[in-house]
Order: sequence, then C-alpha cells, then structure tokens
Amino acid sequence: MIVGKIIQSNAHNDYVCQIYQRDEVESPPAREDYAFGRFVRIRLDDDRALIGLVYDTRLFNPEFGRLGPRLSPQEDLQVFAPDYLREKATLIGIAAIGTIEGDGVSQGLPTLAADTDALVETMTDDEVRAFHLDGEAMRLAYTPGLLATDSAHVLPLMLNVLERLTALLPEQAAMLALLKDEIQWKAAVAPLGGER
Amino acid sequence: MNPIGLTKGPGESQHEFTFVSPDRHDALKVGEFILHRAEIDGEERDVLSRVTSRAPLRLYPDGFLAAPEIDPDDVAAVFGYGGAGHERFEMTAAVIGYYDERLGDFINPRIPPRAGRPLYLAPDDLLASVLSKVSVNGQGAAHIGSLLSRESGRVPLALDLRAVTSTHLAIIANTGAGKSYLAAVLLEELMKPNNRAAVLIVDPHGEYGTLAEMMGHEAFVEPDYSPDVRVFRPGDVKVRTAGLTIGDLSYLLPNLSERMEYLLRRAHRDVTRHSLQEKGKPDRWTVAELLIRLRQLGEGGDNEDEAPDDRYAGTAEALIWRLESVIKGATIFDDFEHLDLAELFRPGRCSVLQLDEVDSRQQQIMVATLLRRAFRARTQTEKGAVAEGDELYLPYPVFLLIEEAHHFAPASVDVVSTQVLKQVLSEGRKFGLAVGLISQRPGRLDPDALSQCNTQFLLRIVNPIDQARVAESVETVGRELLSELPALTKGQVIVAGEAVNTPVLCRVRSRHTPHGAESPDAPALWRKWFSGDKKRRKKARPAGKEEGDEALFT
Repeated sequence: MIVGKIIQSNAHNDYVCQIYQRDEVESPPAREDYAFGRFVRIRLDDDRALIGLVYDTRLFNPEFGRLGPRLSPQEDLQVFAPDYLREKATLIGIAAIGTIEGDGVSQGLPTLAADTDALVETMTDDEVRAFHLDGEAMRLAYTPGLLATDSAHVLPLMLNVLERLTALLPEQAAMLALLKDEIQWKAAVAPLGGER
Repeated sequence: MNPIGLTKGPGESQHEFTFVSPDRHDALKVGEFILHRAEIDGEERDVLSRVTSRAPLRLYPDGFLAAPEIDPDDVAAVFGYGGAGHERFEMTAAVIGYYDERLGDFINPRIPPRAGRPLYLAPDDLLASVLSKVSVNGQGAAHIGSLLSRESGRVPLALDLRAVTSTHLAIIANTGAGKSYLAAVLLEELMKPNNRAAVLIVDPHGEYGTLAEMMGHEAFVEPDYSPDVRVFRPGDVKVRTAGLTIGDLSYLLPNLSERMEYLLRRAHRDVTRHSLQEKGKPDRWTVAELLIRLRQLGEGGDNEDEAPDDRYAGTAEALIWRLESVIKGATIFDDFEHLDLAELFRPGRCSVLQLDEVDSRQQQIMVATLLRRAFRARTQTEKGAVAEGDELYLPYPVFLLIEEAHHFAPASVDVVSTQVLKQVLSEGRKFGLAVGLISQRPGRLDPDALSQCNTQFLLRIVNPIDQARVAESVETVGRELLSELPALTKGQVIVAGEAVNTPVLCRVRSRHTPHGAESPDAPALWRKWFSGDKKRRKKARPAGKEEGDEALFT
C-alpha cells in the first residue's frame, strides 16, 4: 500500500514524506498506515528499497497565520484556484534504518539515498519479521543509531517497535521484554529522577 | 545449571571483577560463592569467586518512596513503567581460584572472567567438597557448622584439626557474640571418636563445666571410646612453689624495692642450689626453706663472702610478710604437689581448668607454669630426653585453649605469661603443643601472639580498635570480609586460615552439650527473691519493723 512520496530530506537518513490525499489517489491510505512507529519501504528502484520507520508527523497548512478576511467565498475558490486546497498536507518524518536488496536485508545507516518523489509504501508483518531476523536470531542493529538522536520521541518510538515485534516474534519474547524494560525505565522513571 | 549473572568488568584490584544480576531469589548474599567456567591449561575448570559487595543498580526516585502505604511499583506503573522485578544489582566478586585436587588447594588463575561471561551459583556439593580440607566426620575433621549463605546444614564445614593443632588458633569476638559457644563446639569436635584429642581449656569464668555431659553422650561414644572430661576446680591443681622462677616470684610480689628484689633473687638462688645439691633437682625446695633463707640473709648470718649485714633485716621481714601473705594464702601453690601433666593431658580427655576464684596474677602464674611445663615436656619427650615414668614425659601432641587470652598476653605490657605464651606460639608447633587463644578484646591482646594464630575464628566485633587489631594481625581475611565483622549476629563466624581452603562465613552448629555461659537473668532473679517465703524477707528487714511499715524516717 503506497502511502505517499518523498518530498524532502533533512539528512542522509531523515526523509519527509507527503501523505497522499483523497483527490490524489484512488484509495488514500488510512491513518494507521502511516502511524507513528510504522515500518515503511522507500522505493529506490525495482529491486531495491530503503526500510524506514515513521518517527514524526506534521500538518502543513499555508493558510495558518493568514488572519485577514477572505475576499472570495470557499465555493468560488474551488472553481478559480483548485490547486490551492492541495497545499494543505500531512507530512511524516521517516528515519531510514536499513536497506532491502532482493531477498537480502541489512540494518543500520543505509549507504544509498532515495530520490525526491520516491514512493513510500507500508510493509507487511512478514516483511517486518524478515527484516528483523538473521536466520533464527533477532537483529535490532538500528536501535543504537536511533537512541543516539536527541529526539524526545525516540524512547516511545522504540517502545512502539518492541511492542510490535513482541507480537510478531513470540519466540524472542524474553529478549524483547528485557529491552522493553530497559527502554521503559529510561522513558518513564529516569526522567523523574530514577537512577540508571 | 542456570546462570545467575553476567560479568560486567574489572573490580578495584586485579583479582576482582564486577557483575550484574537480577538476583530474583536473593541468592547472592555477600560472602556467597559463584563460579565461572574457564579453560586453563587446556582443561575446563570451575573457577570459584566470592561475592564481596552488592549494590542495586536501579533506584526509584525519592518521590516514589514518599508515601509508605503506596507501592513504588504502582507509582512507576502510573508513569508507564510496568516492569515486574525491575531490580538488578551490581556486585563485586573476588576470584578465589579453581580447586586443584592434587595440591588440595585453590589455584588462582590470575585472570578474571571476560565481560559478559555467565556466572553460576556454586553448587552445594561442590562447596562442601572444596571449602573444607577434610570430609565431615573424617579423622582429623571438626564439623563446626555450615556455610552461612546457604540453608542451615546444606554445606557443612569441617576444619582440618591437623592444621589447627599445628598452627594454633584464635577465637575473637565481642561479649555475647558466641565465642564460648564456638569454643565448646570445637572442644566437642576434638573429643569426638574420630579425634580423641588431649585437650585442656583454661576457664577463668567457669563456663565450660557443662562439657562434662559429653561423657556417655551418644554423639561421643563408640564401643571402644568414651570421652573423659575432668573439671579441675581451684585447689584441685597445684603449682609447686619450687617450680616458680625468680621472674614468677617477682611478678607475684609487684613493686618490690631494689633491696627486696636483691634479697629475693639471692634467697631463690640459694634454695635452688641447695635443692640441687641435696635432692638432685633444683625445684625441690619449699616455701619454708625460702623464708628461712630470707631470714638468714636479713640477719646477716650468712657464711658466704658477700653476706649482707643486718641492714637488710627490715627488708627481709617485709619480704617474708609479703611472701607469706601471697603464697601461703593462695590455693594454687603447694610445696610438693605439681601440675600433673599426664593427668591434665591425655588423649580422649578434656580437662577444664576452672580459675574463677583465683586472683588474676595467680591465674597468670598458673598459665605461665602450665605452658612452660607442657612445652618442656613436649620438647624433652620429642628429643628423647625423658622416658616413660618421668613427670615430664608427654608422648602425644596436646592442645591448650585459653579463654580471656588478653589477660595472659596483653598488648603493650608484659605479664609473667606473655613470653612463654609467645614462645609456645612460635615454637610449639614443632613439638605438638598447640594453643588456642580466645579473647573479647583483640585490641588488648598482644599483636604478635594474635598473628601467630594461623587459624582464625572471627565473630562479631564492633569496637573499631579491636577491628583494627584484627585487620592488622589477621592477614588471610580480606578487607571485604572484615567489613562484615560488626554486622555478624550471634553464632555467625568468619573462619579463615590454615584449617580451611579459603575464608568462609559460617553458621556455628548447635552444641551437643548444654551451654554454660549464659548471663544471669537479673530481673527474674529479683522477682524470685520477692516470691520467696516471708520469713526470708522478714529476716532481711531491720528488727522491730513489720511488713507494710515502709516509712524511712520515724
């Protein structure tokens, strides 16, 4: 399911995707498809893609701050300036956390970059599971890179990821519980003065 | 075997390391033994380490703990933290080593485990086999209790009595920490059929009389053996006055003037010489002879060239008066009877030498004489200088336990028993004369004496001076274990030194015989006095007073 396209990047692994709206595609994505913590794929070409994680959402509205009265009624605007409405947009921030190339996956900072207008699509549970498994062993090699950012959202983001993986990889429940406990302590208790 | 923790990193010293453990079952007490597997010289070994400290890693904010009626876990849950059993601990462990069966000792691999290596709780059976040098109930074993960090009895600890009796021991503890109890347990073990020791305990407080119940007790009896316990009350055992050295005599008569000292030395030399000439041995003179000789010297009636004149008459009289008052008034001195070593020391016999009614200086003389004679007997017997029938013939090793040892070898001042005790401690091992020192004030015990005791039993010690003395004199116990001293409770003891393979925290086993050193229950005794018959109370009331007539002034 395609949810939007890349319109900008803030860094090599930090992309901004504009979510398709009702009048842009036949079936626009549901809110859950681009929710915080969802894994997405950014197409590079037919065989390759970046794996990303939705870490932010922003609403773009050029009308915000225009406090003066409108000279034309809303109905007239739809006739005389139809593109104006599409200037309101939902943007999501995507952290690129890995690469998929054919059947192979690699985690961590990707070496390749996506192009503007690259399509962003959701990943199925099987794809997410495959991305996190190296044989029978679970891999979360992108985690240190994420935790190293100073984003206030990174701990909730990781908790969200671990929650989802717990459901997808029940055989890794003990390991995931350990990681989740560590992140939860950092997110919930440490900010209030808990030690370590 | 499931791992209980993972190695974290280096500790403060080369043989220490830190590790992290959730320790959900509170198994990792300080003093507990853990192990890691390591390949040493091509062989997989279980390397034992001891937990020396533990500290929680995750601490709730103080605010979570502000309301005692609210569980901080619930507070954390409010903020989104739902971790059950969130606690984890950082612990420090000191590497002891792997047990080498050929050497019968631990070998330190000199390399701590690498970070992330799994650590396991050492199994009971492994500890039981490697902590003690001997097997429980085996020959030469003294089963004194079990490992404190495990359930009672799960890891029994046995001392190697061969090491104890060849390198001396010390039992150090505050009053009430259980040192007499431990000593009694040790004595019980010495008297068991597997050991049948020749033991004497110097008992200044009369606490060990209950050991007599060992006789006929099923724990001590075998078809060919039953222990013999002899309790010697003051007066039962005599020190022959002729056996006293001039040093002993001077000590019994403190603050002698130089003239007195001179006369005493002179008279002692004369009676000794006379005894040798007339009776063939120098120690056969009597107090009466000494007094007569003193009187002669005082009167100037001596035939020798350097005879004093009658200027010494007053000195001699004063000396005679003091000698009579001290020696003649004492129950422990006698002209003819002497410490019968064969009676006091015999395999399978525990002699309890009660000195509770004896003046403290006389106690010291008694112990000094006992040590001197036992040492002489053992050296001469070993060298073949005496034969069976001689009063100094003692053909077996003996063990002497001395209560209140600081009284017999005090720090910073020499008493009459100090030197001989130190001599026995330094040389006795070669001749099978072992000593055990028991003291509640190690700070007041001679440090040299304490450091010669190579097996140590350390119970609760709170006084910092005493702790410092122990730390100074007892090298085998690490500072981590020593820091446990004030926190030990009754019956908990650190055992270290030659008799065990590594220092261990031990729970002392229950005695087979009743304990005789309980403090009197004063309030109960006071009430008992009032519940007694009225006649006794009436008798205690002044004449003319009746019960209820309580006015002080009439």
